[in-house]
Amino acid sequence: MGKVREEEMDLLSESRIEEDLLRNVNWSKKFKIWFGFLTVLLIVCLWFYIQQLRKGLGITGMHDIVSWGIYISNFVFFIAASLIGMLISSVMGMIGYKWIKPISRIAEIIAVAFALVAGIVIITDMGRPDRLHHLVLYGRIQSPIIWDIAVVITYLALSLLLLYIPLIPDISLCNDKLTGLPKFQQKMYKVLSLGWAGNEAQYKTIKRYFQILLIVIIPVALAIHTVTSWLFAMTLRTGWDSPIFGPYFVSGAFVAGCAAVIIAMYFIQRNYMLQDYITDMHFDRMGKLLVLVSLVYVYFNINEIIVPAYKFKPTEIKHIGNLLYGHDSVLFWLVQAGGLIIPFMLLMIPKMRKPLPSMLISVVILVAAWFKRYVIVVPTQLEPYMPIQNMPESYHSYTPTIPEIAITVGTLVMVLMVITILTKLFPVVSVWEMKEELLQENQS
Amino acid sequence: MKKLILITIVILPLFVAAQETWVVPETNLEKISPFVFDDDLIKDGEALYENLCISCHGTVRKNNPMVFVPSPGDPASEKFQSQTDGSMFYKINKGRGGMPGFEPTLEEEEIWSLIGYFRSLNKAYIQPEFDYGDEVLSELAMALSYDANVDKLVVKVTSNGEMKSGIKVSAAVKGLFGKYILENEETNETGIAYFNVDRKMPGDEEGNLTVQVRAQEGYSIKKTEQTMQLVEPTVKTDLIAGRHLWSKALKAPIWLIVVFNLIVSCIWGIIIYIIIGLVRLKKVS
Ligand code: HEC
Repeated sequence: MGKVREEEMDLLSESRIEEDLLRNVNWSKKFKIWFGFLTVLLIVCLWFYIQQLRKGLGITGMHDIVSWGIYISNFVFFIAASLIGMLISSVMGMIGYKWIKPISRIAEIIAVAFALVAGIVIITDMGRPDRLHHLVLYGRIQSPIIWDIAVVITYLALSLLLLYIPLIPDISLCNDKLTGLPKFQQKMYKVLSLGWAGNEAQYKTIKRYFQILLIVIIPVALAIHTVTSWLFAMTLRTGWDSPIFGPYFVSGAFVAGCAAVIIAMYFIQRNYMLQDYITDMHFDRMGKLLVLVSLVYVYFNINEIIVPAYKFKPTEIKHIGNLLYGHDSVLFWLVQAGGLIIPFMLLMIPKMRKPLPSMLISVVILVAAWFKRYVIVVPTQLEPYMPIQNMPESYHSYTPTIPEIAITVGTLVMVLMVITILTKLFPVVSVWEMKEELLQENQS
Repeated sequence: MKKLILITIVILPLFVAAQETWVVPETNLEKISPFVFDDDLIKDGEALYENLCISCHGTVRKNNPMVFVPSPGDPASEKFQSQTDGSMFYKINKGRGGMPGFEPTLEEEEIWSLIGYFRSLNKAYIQPEFDYGDEVLSELAMALSYDANVDKLVVKVTSNGEMKSGIKVSAAVKGLFGKYILENEETNETGIAYFNVDRKMPGDEEGNLTVQVRAQEGYSIKKTEQTMQLVEPTVKTDLIAGRHLWSKALKAPIWLIVVFNLIVSCIWGIIIYIIIGLVRLKKVS
């Protein structure tokens, strides 16, 4: 517990905590404008998706050689970003870091939003989404794709529970305290509070469930991104055929996730006036955590490049060369140096871990993390073992088309919408946990 | 200036070679093939061409030889067809510049088969008759059988209806790509040549193999091809019959089904346990 925090806490009382933390639960004008903007954007993107449904995947830039484009890159990115819920709430929580309490719900909301939309992203990559049920009818248990679907659904369920269970006392509070809300919302709080009475036994029950979930989610979260990496690593393709793909993806996921949390923390803190709860200390520590996970990720990146580059297998030469100084080198170095190494070095300077600079750095890291997935997915396919012969000229490269980009933007809009709705429906910082902490501090 | 000289030194010989026509010694011009350019021979020639020559001379009739100075040329072109058989025979044997000489690697008959193939591309060509002199082309006939007692392929050859020793016989087993040569033999006094057969060679489900036998006496050649039961039957295993990672969904390996379902049901068991607990939360006090 930092000293700064204690001083702030002195000023807080139970009623103030309630007032502060329930303030965001309303449908303000600002929200309506923001949400209206997102809706318009989504409708435009949906129009492109309808085009894709009608005309097929031919309207994308994908072809026989590059059959996984930005949709799959986007999917990998979403899965990556969703992993942060596990790191913050579960790993950090179980180690006993109390400072994560005010931000763990934000991490969970991000996890739920990305995991939820990841399922939709994968459907955008399907030429015949009407045959989705064939996965169940004809899927082969031997295929990593089936494992991936199983694990994505499981992780989503766990993340929803992990978000929901600590929310129950707060939902009950909303039900009791908030007035003037639409009827359906009142009703929803009533149903979702599950008849919460706030007695000792109920607290004990949800705390126990929460503990179980914290443990279960760790292997499932590791599995979700490891299996996603296996979609690539289980093939013999140059650049994907790597035994360290699992940890490589997992460590990369934490980088993207930490950056996403810092960005969300910034906007939530500013918009919902939560400066007393989400403090500079949180940005400072999240910044340090981001440095740590970036270092791990850099370590895996070095392994991914140096080991094959040293051996110089004929098939690898072209691929590595392409990345380091060839066709894809500009993007590669922008992502590696500009989007990972320089940002984490900047974050090592204490001043850079203040809210605004750390948010800006995180935006750079998150954007680079998206393009990093592209660098992993696409260039490999342009170096097949069988030379690309007797193909149209356009098959020698890949450029996403406008509908493809729009549909991808649409999925990002959906994530923002889910995050926005969740942060407007429920307190973003756990009210009862803050009160509990206050109580403990007053006692000691 | 230095560069110019260098270029001249490198390029000049090429021009010299280009201008110089390929002179074939008079005596070789009139040489003709003792082998009849029949379908069998032409087919052999085509196979040889596709193995040894196509890389430089290109696909016949397409006129797409590799870039050489002088150009190798297309065998169907005027450049080839206007020459005598003897001239081509000489050139293929000796070679020049970019054209390798095939004398050390190919039998005379094989070179004639190549020429026979080239000539088959030219409708106007009529093969000149070879003067065999005293030698009479004999009529060869062959009968193939398999002797299971000694694991041998038995080839009985008759020349003009009579058995004769010393007739060259060679046998090969036809494979998916090319052939596997068994042996080169000669007939004994009873006109029979024996070939060892390895019973382990892969045949079809009944143990059938296609053998190609060729007999030659002087300039007369006889070839036959016959499918016969020579080896042990091959038991074909269906690659997706067992439980494998690459088999159908219903044939997934047991360990995978067990592990996958165990993990999924354990975790979903926990999820369902918690959901049931939450539904009952009201009653907890
Ligand atoms: C390495 C490339 C190469 C290969 C392989 C090759 N040739 Fe040639 N061939 C040439 C070149 C070059 C010439 C022209 C030589 C010259 O005129 O000096 C040529 C010329 C010839 C000529 C003479 C054409 C003329 O101008 O009169 C004949 C006949 C011929 N090749 C037949 C063959 C046959 C048959 C084979 C296969 C057994 C063969 N070549 C394989 C390169 C090749």
